[in-house]
Amino acid sequence: MRHFHREGTKHTKWCGNSCSREVRARSAKGITAEAQRRREIAERLSAPWRLCGWLAFGATNFIIAGADFVVKWLFEAERCTKALIAALSCLAILTSSSAFALDVHTVNLAKGQQVWYVSDRSLPVIAMSAAIPAGSAYDPTGKPGLAAFAAALLDQGAGRLNADAFQTALANRAIRLSVSCSRDWLIVSLLTLTDNAKDAFHLLGQALSQPRFDADSVARTKEQILSRMTEDGARPDRVAADAFYGAFFHDHPYAHPISGNRAAVSAITAGDLKHFASAHWSGSGVRIAVSGDIDGPGLTVLLKSAFGRLALRNPPAIPTAMHEGGAGVRDVPVPGPKSVAAFGLPGVLSADRDYTAAYVANFILAGSLSSILAGRDRSSFDSEVSMQLITDRKAGFVLGEMTSQPSVMRKAITLLRGTLRDYAQDGLAQAQLDDAKAALTGAFPLAFDSDVATATHLNEYQRAGLGIDYVRKRNALISAVTLDQVKRAAKRLFNPSRLTVTIAEGQPPSRQSSAIDPQNR
Amino acid sequence: MADGGVRAPRNAKAIAFPARRRGLRDRAVLIASRVGASLLALALAAATAPALAQQDAKVFQFALENGLQVTVVPDHRAPVVTRMLLYRVGAADDPPGLSGLADFIQQAALNAGNATSSNNGARNCAFTTHDYTAFCQQIGKDRLRAVMSADADRLANLALSDRNVRDGADAVLADRRARVDGNPQALLREQMEAALFLSHPYGRPVTGWPEEVRHIGRIEAQAFYDRHYPPNNAYLVVAGDVTPDEARADAEATYGKLTAHELHPRAEFAQPPRLGETRLTVLRDDVRMPLLLRLYRVASYTEARPGEAEALQVLAQLLGGDPTSALYRELVIRRKLATETRAFYEGYARDDGEFGIFARAKPGVRPEVLQQAVDGIVSAAMQTVPRMADLERAKTQLVADAVYLHDDQISLASAYGQSLAIGLTAQDVEDWPNRIRAVSAEEVRKVAAGDVILREAVTGYLLPATQ
Repeated sequence: MRHFHREGTKHTKWCGNSCSREVRARSAKGITAEAQRRREIAERLSAPWRLCGWLAFGATNFIIAGADFVVKWLFEAERCTKALIAALSCLAILTSSSAFALDVHTVNLAKGQQVWYVSDRSLPVIAMSAAIPAGSAYDPTGKPGLAAFAAALLDQGAGRLNADAFQTALANRAIRLSVSCSRDWLIVSLLTLTDNAKDAFHLLGQALSQPRFDADSVARTKEQILSRMTEDGARPDRVAADAFYGAFFHDHPYAHPISGNRAAVSAITAGDLKHFASAHWSGSGVRIAVSGDIDGPGLTVLLKSAFGRLALRNPPAIPTAMHEGGAGVRDVPVPGPKSVAAFGLPGVLSADRDYTAAYVANFILAGSLSSILAGRDRSSFDSEVSMQLITDRKAGFVLGEMTSQPSVMRKAITLLRGTLRDYAQDGLAQAQLDDAKAALTGAFPLAFDSDVATATHLNEYQRAGLGIDYVRKRNALISAVTLDQVKRAAKRLFNPSRLTVTIAEGQPPSRQSSAIDPQNR
Repeated sequence: MADGGVRAPRNAKAIAFPARRRGLRDRAVLIASRVGASLLALALAAATAPALAQQDAKVFQFALENGLQVTVVPDHRAPVVTRMLLYRVGAADDPPGLSGLADFIQQAALNAGNATSSNNGARNCAFTTHDYTAFCQQIGKDRLRAVMSADADRLANLALSDRNVRDGADAVLADRRARVDGNPQALLREQMEAALFLSHPYGRPVTGWPEEVRHIGRIEAQAFYDRHYPPNNAYLVVAGDVTPDEARADAEATYGKLTAHELHPRAEFAQPPRLGETRLTVLRDDVRMPLLLRLYRVASYTEARPGEAEALQVLAQLLGGDPTSALYRELVIRRKLATETRAFYEGYARDDGEFGIFARAKPGVRPEVLQQAVDGIVSAAMQTVPRMADLERAKTQLVADAVYLHDDQISLASAYGQSLAIGLTAQDVEDWPNRIRAVSAEEVRKVAAGDVILREAVTGYLLPATQ
């Protein structure tokens, strides 16, 4: 039994430092569009819990997520994908009813390292989500994609074990180790049976402190990254997202795609990777969240074996993004029958006093099937729209995605502008706010329904710079937001004249498919 | 109950458990205790999970007066409850000329009543398979009652007007555009399944063929709904922070009010013999890297002889379950022909299951070369038993999956739901890890030689149109 204790009614005054999140934590690339979400859903709902090496196995999910064709998943948050995830991570407790809070404890490791954990002995598993400030924003000039490349090699050999031996050591013990790279962070997820925990954390320790970067692993991983890049070049969601980040962030370190570009990745050497890992895979600034069958002393031992050998070196500072956006519409052609637009607006940082209000404002606009955009979507867009509030460490912004047929994309963008304008001007009704609060607060415990989810969400809060009491305070923050505050935030955020749009424009099919016997080709 | 078993219904059933199957399927029901279920182990116990054995891991089952079969899987770790309602109707039941109808009803039911409220933060999902239709909802325990009755009402009284049937059909078509038409791999698999299953309805896409979806009208939709969606054609699985008594009280107060109907037997379809391998090539502008997919028609968990489905599951893991599998080691690491590989077994079906192999070619590698390499690996598996270390690793992975799956409430509910909905039992779900452990090296070789055969296969290439 996880310890949830009840709390009484609580009215906390407006507090600036509130919800924040990093949506793209588990994505190797910009916007976590349809496919990413569907992959997550498929992983979550279809057969077993698999955290295969993301690079080696990620794309096969298209095929494997037979989910997509044999079984078809339809989440309610279909058109508001990220908002759902946001709702889950951006928790709240309703002041009027009983409130739940999770018993989150800390362990003191080295200075600058943050560890939160939840002890829950009911299943013999331990889940960890840990973040090291070594994301793509730290890519050296001229080497975009280096951080993601290094991350992809984290499970490809360490110490005396080559890649195959390392993978075998994990598989023999059914240890699930997965690695991803966001703009700010290298994120490591670990799931193990309690019996194998010692080995699991030890293997991770080796991977972090003694990575091998063997020539054949580097070559193989490079092929995989380039192959993925080639595939993504035909995917309008990826193309639109990459173009959007470039347009929106100009020369800021967030501007380039997390996985870099073909030329840069092709030129990356084992030496570059080694250098990056030794400089950036550091113990300083690491954020660790654990949930499962473990207590404080036991966890301290495990974490020392995983993180204890890392040097304590502060990462270089990333500048705050000052001039986000480039209003207007840009086109990039892609093959295929779909068009996808990525769009965005300057937003708020998590420390901003308008943050919680902005979050609620976005939820009402785009956060559920009953949201304003979803209603518009159904009646007139003939498209799917989603929007989320993103708070990276150095930039807050609104990021949206719209999928449509090429012929109606322009019209849909015009409608979107109108919807934003109306929302910012006319605001919203108290009933909509009440409904949003009920949804956000009601979704609170869902974020902690499993050890994996608990570790994942706690780590998101850590990455956002929130305090350990955040889970307990969240309720009051959401509940205390007033209609005026939300209206003000909506006005501040949803200004259509500041909208940056990049459209990956689909092409009408020419000779899209034919079925012939390969023997007769 | 101390042994963690499945509790028998406590209520006398006013309406008999619906006749599940006729003909061949009776065999499947009879051997249900021998066949498997997914990824799940309550009784995992001993070797890997001492803590699990100590806890009161139990499943409770009972029926409501109206015939709704309820399974409760308590999980008190968080104040969250997941309910999954599964109807024994799926795309295989779509009437001739109206493929996509079951999926259409699912979408209509999911969308009904959702438009006005964000539902206290409930997380809803719904999906349709060829065999069943599932609706699930996860919600904080403190909000359960508020949402549950509205939900039951929505499913029970689906009102179909000409207008919302037309909108619903448009939504299904739009959904297809988004998921299939723009996804060449999905199109390839759709083509291959159509070829694999011949005239059996598993060869029709769940979303339906667009021409037929356009023919769905209110009358057909209403008739289909009336026929297939009474409570006595459904299973309710409740997982989460709930006691069996609470679950029963909640279910009676909501779903218990629905009225049972007489059930018509489901249509039974021939699974026509396949006399030879099918090959097809799909060329697309939006494909960059050549890709090979092979699908075999194989025995499912409901059809397999004892141990057969489990051996297929282990074989899939050995061939392509992870980066230590035969395909990855041979094609990616050693011969450097592919960037990705995968093998999978989809055995949860009322009729035949699928065994699949996937490989993405490295630039410059012709798909024929890749295919020869795959064939070599498969035929090695036919001739030679797996090495003991590899077999043990594969089984360890699968058994651990069952433990990990227990960490996730929705996965837990689906594991029971999918098994019940195709005619397996909760006991099958719980026994699965033990049956996986019992798979021998020789059995793996035997299914490789006997089940994974080219006559039962479709081989597909997905290639760039410009090649």
